[in-house]
Amino acid sequence: MRQVGAQLRDVTRQGTANFALEIKDLLMQFETPQGPVVAVDRMSVGVEQGRFVSIIGPSGCGKSTVFNIVGGLLRGYQGDVTVAGTRMDGPHKDIGMVFQEESTFPWRTVIDNVVFPLEVSGVPRAERYDRARSFIRMVGLEGFEQRFPAELSGGMRQRVAIARTLAFEPKILLMDEPFAALDEQTRLLLGDHILKIQQELRQTTVLITHNITEAVQLSDKIVIMTYRPGRLKRVLDIDLPRPRTSEVVGSPEFGAYVAEIWKDLREEASRGMQDAEARSRSS
Amino acid sequence: MSTASIPLTKSAPLSFETRVRSLKLAIVASLLLIWEAMARSGLLFEDVVPSIVVVVAALGGVLVDPVFYSNLAITAWEVGTAILVGGVTGLAVGFVLGNSRFLSRAYEPFLYYLGPTPKIIFFPLLIMWFGIGPGSKAALGALSSFFPIAIATAAAIRSVDPILLRVGASFRLSRWQTFYKIFLPAIRGPLTNGFRLGLGIAIIGTVLAETKLSNQGIGYLIIQTYTTFNMARMYALLLLLFAIAILLNAALSRLARRFGA
Ligand SMILES: Nc1ncnc2c1ncn2[C@@H]1O[C@H](COP(=O)(O)OP(=O)(O)O)[C@@H](O)[C@H]1O
Ligand SMILES: [Mg+2]
Repeated sequence: MRQVGAQLRDVTRQGTANFALEIKDLLMQFETPQGPVVAVDRMSVGVEQGRFVSIIGPSGCGKSTVFNIVGGLLRGYQGDVTVAGTRMDGPHKDIGMVFQEESTFPWRTVIDNVVFPLEVSGVPRAERYDRARSFIRMVGLEGFEQRFPAELSGGMRQRVAIARTLAFEPKILLMDEPFAALDEQTRLLLGDHILKIQQELRQTTVLITHNITEAVQLSDKIVIMTYRPGRLKRVLDIDLPRPRTSEVVGSPEFGAYVAEIWKDLREEASRGMQDAEARSRSS
Repeated sequence: MSTASIPLTKSAPLSFETRVRSLKLAIVASLLLIWEAMARSGLLFEDVVPSIVVVVAALGGVLVDPVFYSNLAITAWEVGTAILVGGVTGLAVGFVLGNSRFLSRAYEPFLYYLGPTPKIIFFPLLIMWFGIGPGSKAALGALSSFFPIAIATAAAIRSVDPILLRVGASFRLSRWQTFYKIFLPAIRGPLTNGFRLGLGIAIIGTVLAETKLSNQGIGYLIIQTYTTFNMARMYALLLLLFAIAILLNAALSRLARRFGA
């Protein structure tokens, strides 16, 4: 059986080359004490070079699972994940991850956090600090280089994490609900930073989020997922003009997109909520 | 409104720290006084409890005695070797146990049983393996310090936030890079504390071994003064040993505090 599988894989090893990142028929099942749970069910998404794509879905629908698989941190899935046409095997040098959780190194200053990926890959000292400074500027943290994460707000720490991942100079930026722990205003303003960075670097970006406003504000394309099992429900192109800022939130087109997405998400979110209620009732 | 009268800041003229420090000084002073009173009362043998004046004179004698320094160097070498060997092996074993639930369940109980056993019972064995010279003393010190360091390391490794390891994996760190760029800095607070405990125990182990069977080292000097009934010199040596241990301990706890332990 293994042999056959290997041969079949060989045939499809070359993904579609015009996608910077392609997920094909991704299926992930977790074994739990309550039996197997299908977290992601035959999902396919293609991300073109330089585009900003958001994957949106209610909590528990399998977004982080997709994030971890694409980031190379989770194995045991079926299907194909290809980066620039070649199949992934573990963490990829072209993919930079920004995590939902607090992930800065508390013992390192802001600049030493940002310098981290350059330090481990052996970039000469003077050069890596120069480069780190430019990424710190990009996320708007100049003047805070010598501070420790504990001295900063949550939003600032998340920007440190983003700058650190940018310093890895990935071709694809992959973010899992990076602003989930922040308040709405901070979130919108950080969105502006992201838009500016996207403008500057033309970085292929995949943002995982459960926030509709955030997704519409930032994306060229939004992928809507269903709740349990996590399937692709709909793909929606966002034709809002670029360059964008958070002011786009006030436009009627923006409102129309939000309403459109909510129509699709509403059903999934309420199923998620019923599930959560059922769980807390039974426990 | 009545709460407004509660002062938010202390207005006491002496800070808490100053008061603690003066009490400490008073304790030391009264101990010295009691000692001197006992020495002068004539109730005890003069040689067993010599007057402070005599002890201070002996202390001066020890401090200009080259024999003291050559023996101190021996003991320092033994303790240094002990903490190095015990520290590196403790760190390695603690790291492996902290990373494996399976191995930690299998092995850690032994660490907990053997940890508090007085290691001096292994001294005869160590003499056979490492000879009666400084080697066997260093070995006893290493054996003593291994346990607290291994236990502290294993516990610290388990407390490292997994997200930091995922960040490391996403940046494609090698195993070795993961160890010295993430694990080591993440645990350096508790680790310094473990080394502090280990160092104290290494000093105890080494000096104790020197008092048992040896012809050099501070422990040997102390036993020698005892057998020749030179009590003033013995007290002087003990005082110096205390002072060194206290200084080392203070230096390491400062380091640990700086690392946030
Ligand atoms: N390691 C795991 N073991 C078992 N079940 C898991 C594991 N990780 C995720 N799941 C389950 O898979 C589903 C999707 O989880 P996740 O990808 O974290 O969702 P999201 O990020 O959208 O909130 C959830 O039902 C979750 O309970
Ligand atoms: Mg998630």
